[in-house]
Amino acid sequence: MPANRAAQRIAYQPGDSFLHRLHPLTKGSWLLAGTALVFVVRNPWAVAGAVALLLPGFPIAGVRLGRVRGTRLFISTTLLLGLLQVLFVREGATLVATGPLAVTAGGVQAGIYVAGRFLSVILFSYLFVLTTEPNDLAYALMRAGLPYRYGFALITALRLVPVFEQEGQIVYNAQLARGVRYDVRSPRRFLTLARQFVLPLLVSALGKVDALAVSMEGRSFGKYPTRTFLREVRATWLDGVALALLVVAILASWAIG
Amino acid sequence: MIRIEGLSYRFRGSETNALRNLSLEIEPREFVVITGPSGCGKSTLALAMGGYLFRQFDGQAEGRVIVYGLDVRDSPIYDVAQLVGLVQQNPEAQFCTLTVGDEVAFGLENRCLSRAEIRERMAWALSIVGAEHLQGRLLASLSGGEKQKVAIAAMMAAKPQVLIFDEPTSNLDPTATAEIFGVIEHIREKAGITVIVIEHKVGYLQRFKPRLVKMQDGQIVFDGQPTPNAQVLADPAPQSRPPGIPGSQAPLLRVENLHAGYNGRSVLRDLAVEVHPGEFVSIMGDNGSGKTTFLHCLLGLRRPSQGRVEVLGHDTRHTPVSQLARQVGLLFQNPDHQLFADSVWEEAVFAPLNFGALDGATEARVGDLLARCGLGNRHDDHPYRLSYGQKRRLNLVSVLSYAPRLILLDEVLIGQDPASAGFLLDLLQEHAARGGAVIMVNHAPEVTRRYASRLLFFNEGTIAIDAPQGQAFDRLQALGKGAYAC
Repeated sequence: MPANRAAQRIAYQPGDSFLHRLHPLTKGSWLLAGTALVFVVRNPWAVAGAVALLLPGFPIAGVRLGRVRGTRLFISTTLLLGLLQVLFVREGATLVATGPLAVTAGGVQAGIYVAGRFLSVILFSYLFVLTTEPNDLAYALMRAGLPYRYGFALITALRLVPVFEQEGQIVYNAQLARGVRYDVRSPRRFLTLARQFVLPLLVSALGKVDALAVSMEGRSFGKYPTRTFLREVRATWLDGVALALLVVAILASWAIG
Repeated sequence: MIRIEGLSYRFRGSETNALRNLSLEIEPREFVVITGPSGCGKSTLALAMGGYLFRQFDGQAEGRVIVYGLDVRDSPIYDVAQLVGLVQQNPEAQFCTLTVGDEVAFGLENRCLSRAEIRERMAWALSIVGAEHLQGRLLASLSGGEKQKVAIAAMMAAKPQVLIFDEPTSNLDPTATAEIFGVIEHIREKAGITVIVIEHKVGYLQRFKPRLVKMQDGQIVFDGQPTPNAQVLADPAPQSRPPGIPGSQAPLLRVENLHAGYNGRSVLRDLAVEVHPGEFVSIMGDNGSGKTTFLHCLLGLRRPSQGRVEVLGHDTRHTPVSQLARQVGLLFQNPDHQLFADSVWEEAVFAPLNFGALDGATEARVGDLLARCGLGNRHDDHPYRLSYGQKRRLNLVSVLSYAPRLILLDEVLIGQDPASAGFLLDLLQEHAARGGAVIMVNHAPEVTRRYASRLLFFNEGTIAIDAPQGQAFDRLQALGKGAYAC
């Protein structure tokens, strides 16, 4: 189906920032450990602090968060999640009360926890995806021990996603050109439209699989259990600093409790 | 050398053999061009020589294929692949990585060669195709010709004894086509290997004096030196061109000051053109020059950012696509992208049904068109069971079925042999002669010469030439686009 192309896609944005230069596995470690930490930590201000620390990451990476697709959705979801907690959790001292509505200290705390954790996970993920070249990530994982067949499955998927997106647009246009109307709504019609849309893509995908299999086997893919890697994704002193900071963050969260 | 002895092959589920008792010998360092109509078995033969046919496809085989002493049917694919490289039609479909360097190194890395040797072979392979400067680039950022060069380099890096090209220029414009044939010639001269090219555009290759093998119905019907007319359409008799009567009737299409683009990027700039009933307009130009975007603007799939497009009096800015589509038919490049129904008949009447215009007269017209296209006895078959050429004809029937006045074609001749293409073009010419109009994006000068009354040449989002085709070809030479006038 046609996509909104005005917004920036949630995909790697080339750049040369500090975050871009970090090794993908360093950023992966921060993503996993950082996400775990905001769920483990028992202090709402620590969660809010995590959000405050993540937000400057976007200007540092040279990315305008407001232009990235989905930003409005996750911000409104964050606000909604936080608001629901504030309005419906009744614990601790009452801060404000109007008619049936009451805001308690416990509610505010729960709101900060839920909204902050949700926002942290999204921001961590956005920073990771926007500053990490998927190819580098796949090669880094393979160098770190991921069997290369799985690594190339990831690379193939990365390569084919835009191809299928483009083909989906062609099929959609071809259907419009033949009088197909997408504004007629009924479950039966929806199923018919879905089948008519998916079938050409499926046939095209099968053809691509054949061509790709010929290309891969013709170049000895899978002949040996290991392979040479020409591409190097090097770690630098920046990665040492980033990992040291991660250790500090883990210790600090343990100390906070 | 390559020796094929009595090779027959039938794909599972097929009623006929793709190859029929075919025998062929090719000497080391020979330059062979294999040609023939779509579906005659050329690509199947290439897959057989590379060994893939016997490993990755389901079917029944008889006969032997020996490549440099290796019995291909009994050998591991990896062993055959070290001798035979296969460059497929669509470079996009054969890329396994995301960057040029990774792609050329891919096969060498899989063979566990040392980094030093990989670097050395990579440099050699990229230089032999003239693509050293592309090494650091993302594959997605390359032009069609550059992608094909990288695909060739990726195969050359393995230093095969035989390199097979399966229609390597079918997706390319004439400029890139000439470049790729230059690369193939360079490989033949410098690499000292056997080169086999499967190609419809034999004319481009005649200057290399290749051995020509012509196939039909899975058999070899000619094996020798090509004749001067080898590449032209099946029926060399000159066709009568539609008269093209600009000014005598109201235009079907009026484009004024058209600007359009994507994501803030300007693709079309200040286009102005009128098309009248009876015209058969050919659009040519380099890949990326805005031809497809222009067609999309005519059907309202893309709205102008400035200017206007008027189709039969309807301004595309204010008319829904569903209404414009009733008068404007659009055919896309890949037939599989535009088959939606479960049977040939349902596919043929798909659009009239959507438009609420399926009546007795339409059914009679569809029945007649299917019969003319050789699909009269295939009404109940699933469209995906048809051959490539038959699918193409069905695509055209499904547009002609509702008789739109203006028919737009976006590189629909790709992968079509001259006879099949000629059949479609004759039908379209009839449409124009009956008062419709045809606008066809294509890369084939010979087709434009034979069928079009007028040529629009696109250059970087503008119409650089708009003239009767005879004059237009003269002006192309002056514009430095001689490859389009060959």
